[in-house]
Amino acid sequence: MTEIAFETRSVSKFFPGVKALQNVSIQMRSGSIHALLGENGAGKSTLIKLITGVYRPDEGQLFAGAQEVHFNRPHDAIAAGVGVVHQERNLIPRFSVAENMAMGQTTIDPLKPIDFRRLNELAEPWLDMLGLSIDPAIQVSRLSVAQMQMVEIAKALSQRTRVLLLDEPTASLTPTESQALFDVLHRLRADGVSMMFVSHKLEEVQEICDTVSVLRDGVNAGENIPMRDLQRKDLIRLMIGRDETIPEARRRQASAQSVALELRDLSTSFGHRNVSLDVRRGEIVGLYGLIGAGRTELAKTIMGLGALTGGEILRDGAPVTITSPTDALHRHRIGYVSENRKDEGLILDHSVLENAGITIWRRSANRLGWLSRSGVRMRTVPFLDRLAVKTPSLHQKVGNLSGGNQQKIAMAKWLAAGVDVLIVDEPTVGIDVKSKAYLHQLLRELADDGTAVLLITSDLPEMISLADRILVMDEFILKGAVANTRDYKAMSQSVMEHIHHSTDELRQAQAASA
Amino acid sequence: MTRNLFQSDWATPMLVALTIGLLISLFNPAFLATFNLQVLLEAVSINVLIALSQMVIIAIGQMNLSVGALGGLAAVVFAGLMEVFGLPPALAGALALGVGLAGGLFNGVLIGMTGISAFVITLATLSIFKGLNLAITQAQPFYEIPDAVKSFGNETLFGPFPIILVPAAVIVVLMVVFFNRIPVGRWLLAVGGNAHSAELSGISITRTVIVAHCLSGVLAASAGILLVARLQLGQPTIGDDWLIMSFAAPIIGGAILSGGHVSTVATVFGVLIVAQITQALVLFHIDPFFVQVVLGLMILAAVGANQLRDLRLQRAPQE
Amino acid sequence: MSLVTTQPDRSVRMPDLKGVLLSSEFGLFLLIVLFGGLFYSVSSGFLSSFNIAAMSRAAAINIMIGFSMMAVIATGGLSLAVGAIGACAAMTCGWLLQEIGLPWPLALLLAIAVGAALGAINGVIEVKTGLHSFIVTLATMSLFFGIMIFLTQAQTYRGIPADFVSFGRMKVMGISAAMGPTLIVTAALIVLYGNTRIGKEMLAAGARPEAARLSGVRVGRMIVLAHAISGGLAAIAALLLVARNGAAIPSMAGNLGQDWLLIAFLGPVLGGAVLTGGKISVIGAFLGAVLVTVLSNGLLLMQIGEFWLQACLGAVLLLAVLLDLARRNYLERRAKQ
Repeated sequence: MTEIAFETRSVSKFFPGVKALQNVSIQMRSGSIHALLGENGAGKSTLIKLITGVYRPDEGQLFAGAQEVHFNRPHDAIAAGVGVVHQERNLIPRFSVAENMAMGQTTIDPLKPIDFRRLNELAEPWLDMLGLSIDPAIQVSRLSVAQMQMVEIAKALSQRTRVLLLDEPTASLTPTESQALFDVLHRLRADGVSMMFVSHKLEEVQEICDTVSVLRDGVNAGENIPMRDLQRKDLIRLMIGRDETIPEARRRQASAQSVALELRDLSTSFGHRNVSLDVRRGEIVGLYGLIGAGRTELAKTIMGLGALTGGEILRDGAPVTITSPTDALHRHRIGYVSENRKDEGLILDHSVLENAGITIWRRSANRLGWLSRSGVRMRTVPFLDRLAVKTPSLHQKVGNLSGGNQQKIAMAKWLAAGVDVLIVDEPTVGIDVKSKAYLHQLLRELADDGTAVLLITSDLPEMISLADRILVMDEFILKGAVANTRDYKAMSQSVMEHIHHSTDELRQAQAASA
Repeated sequence: MTRNLFQSDWATPMLVALTIGLLISLFNPAFLATFNLQVLLEAVSINVLIALSQMVIIAIGQMNLSVGALGGLAAVVFAGLMEVFGLPPALAGALALGVGLAGGLFNGVLIGMTGISAFVITLATLSIFKGLNLAITQAQPFYEIPDAVKSFGNETLFGPFPIILVPAAVIVVLMVVFFNRIPVGRWLLAVGGNAHSAELSGISITRTVIVAHCLSGVLAASAGILLVARLQLGQPTIGDDWLIMSFAAPIIGGAILSGGHVSTVATVFGVLIVAQITQALVLFHIDPFFVQVVLGLMILAAVGANQLRDLRLQRAPQE
Repeated sequence: MSLVTTQPDRSVRMPDLKGVLLSSEFGLFLLIVLFGGLFYSVSSGFLSSFNIAAMSRAAAINIMIGFSMMAVIATGGLSLAVGAIGACAAMTCGWLLQEIGLPWPLALLLAIAVGAALGAINGVIEVKTGLHSFIVTLATMSLFFGIMIFLTQAQTYRGIPADFVSFGRMKVMGISAAMGPTLIVTAALIVLYGNTRIGKEMLAAGARPEAARLSGVRVGRMIVLAHAISGGLAAIAALLLVARNGAAIPSMAGNLGQDWLLIAFLGPVLGGAVLTGGKISVIGAFLGAVLVTVLSNGLLLMQIGEFWLQACLGAVLLLAVLLDLARRNYLERRAKQ
């Protein structure tokens, strides 16, 4: 085996109330690609931030080669030869490719005029090495997303990076672009670069990675395992396979109930094509898919935030036009718990009461617009209690509460609103186990009380324990339905097949057309 | 080459400026009279500095409300030092630039170190600078301006070209070099374009913010000094009406207010557009108050056009 | 019982004393008392009946100007055009009274409507174009003021009915009658932001527009409304000024109305408003404006001179934001523990 290029030894990172990482050890070897897998909230991004100097570990050590390193800021990591290509672009859009690549050097002598021709010459070999036919003098804002990503890799390499982290590099690439990226990664591996590849797409991981580590709930679920020893089902098991048994929930009999929400051949400006589904009263319908499959966008379309290009939405059997979330909430009684709690789900700077009450202000106000405090409290506190929200007072800023309590409040406001249809998007990401159990119980009770629930989650055990039916979405198309047999292994297999099948199909179609 | 010319940032403002000039002179040939052009160029020389003083702050994605107050303070310091202490103009000018630098440093340190919004800080320092100005002058102008300064501000080199065009032109050239070639100038644009990325590259945001505000202060001071020379008077009201002008020209020149993209040359043409329209209103005997209305409309039209152009660029990144 | 969570809500019945002491409202109150005592000890004329009337009249106007900025700050915006809108409303009122001869209550209402309409224009432009309110109001301050000067030819309207002027000079229990409308507006704003759907939705829209929108708040409408309220309040401030001066003067708020800017921000910012939106304090803005008035008046009594006063007020704003930063850092640390 080749030498170790970078290593974390039993690192831990704690945030108030949360153990983000615990005793995580990974080894990245020179000339090899290491996969980092895990569900949302498993601790991948925290680990990346530790390795790139954004955070400092609370426990454990980092080693670059044989040398222990302490990163106080991102710049230290770069100096130690650790580079990262993030999902969000870290280039300066109005600067040329060559200047972006040289950004680190221009800080050395602040007054010496920049020789752009020389920067272009310096950039050329790196671009050539990656097989890029990009003019180094062109403005970055004129490049495609895939090209920008390549420029970031070139930039990292030009900074003498020997350890390269790639955070979901293929998330916004087409399959052809991804393939080009893999060719580059193979070439870098041959040159002895050590890489970490973070992705949700298992077939990609299998294709290009040599070893794999899996994080689950902040701890190692699999450490530095050679890829050749693993099959796809092993990866899935490591990622989402839990020891916990899936609680045998009482089966609901929803088929007799009326359809609360129906989509008929829905096509949207987001790119959905012919999506048809229905949710009955008292039923939990799961919408499974990988990140970027178009589930959140579908939810937003139902809430009136996306344009329909075809098909229709039916509410209680009648076609409706939903123009805004206001419309969705107050006229059609549809609610949406956002996956993005911090930006869309809650107003972190406002109090618990203000957040929980926002959906009912309109209903609680009298004809003059007067809103009695006790009225709002009466309509919200029972739900905060039911969800076991822990807060010193109703006037506490939500931002000061734990993630679990925040999510409960984000949910409570829709309970208070008393909606008939509730769309729940990744309800338990990044929250503690106890809160998670409460939220699960609550969703079941809601359905039992007659609410139609559309559950979006990437957490398969959660899906299986809650949903009555599971629909699988990929590439903005519904791929099919999976009956919930509560047999975890069989179900994860068939869900994955729906998704992989579609990707394979797409590949073949593209290969045929090329 | 021609293709490059028309793709450059300043092609549109240049065409607009030329078109406006052409139209005005067609309707009223007096526009091209030597004296008229001289007045136009004098206004442009000073307004360019005012606009650049705001532009360097726009480059880092901030705003500076105190441009006028600081320029006015430097102006009365310049005039006062000559009248009260009898300092030679060169020394008085240097000290007045020093006042601009100090004021800019004050702004920059407060904003860079505390992270409080530039709007609030410069609103506060606006009052401080203006108050100092009034306290020094007791709202009375300094009249005793040396003849050398007066002729510097009012004579021409040849034809319609005023002497004060020279310092303005030199500063414009320096600014073009600064933003295009000098690392510090690139830092400003980098911080305005993507602060996070700039920081990762080892650029200190605090230091960059301070540099930008210092530069803004010096530019505002130089505008104040030239204005004293042209007015032959140390007016305490200098700077009171700079705010709109300082934003209008960079915006008309296509500066993007969120930072990262400014063009010195385009800003010069922005100034030229505003100056020509102002001049035209005078020539056609239109109420001079109307200038305000036109300026307001032009700002709205320019930001609207910039937004449309950016939208198009985003949709077609491959071209 | 393990499910018990929201403990009895103490903070309503018995406010947390430490919280009150740390609030910016209490700090302002202390400062007002402190400076009042200081000025009184230096010059007993500070609390003379004449000076109290003068101070309360100035405070009434300053408070209204502050409120007009606060209304926009609530939604996370700002308005450079408050002074220009105020001047436009005042001139409308003067024109209606002198040239049209409307009865004065009607002229006042129309002037306030004009202010609200101009504010709404700002809001509509902001929402439709997605531009920041700074740039929108920078353009419209020039636009509104220019049109006003163009239409009025910069003349002053002096044909203000005696009733209206005498109201501006009237005293009730030693305090200027101008305080009357201001107190009514203060009470109305407290109710608006604390007890009405619209006020709460405006704050939610300001704090986090995406979250508010997904919770059913019509964010765009709230922004337009906030600007309209701001315009209406600026108009009322300008009308109080007209009553005081006995004339509608185009330069009453300086060139383009810029002279109002500092005072407009001082009140709300001293009162603890967050400029990014979502948090304001009506009482705080009220006390902030009172503090500024007390300081201005006291410093003038101490012969500091009108000119130094402006520098002092700038320094006060600077000090206020720096202290607020320190206070928030402290509270943040306390909350984390």
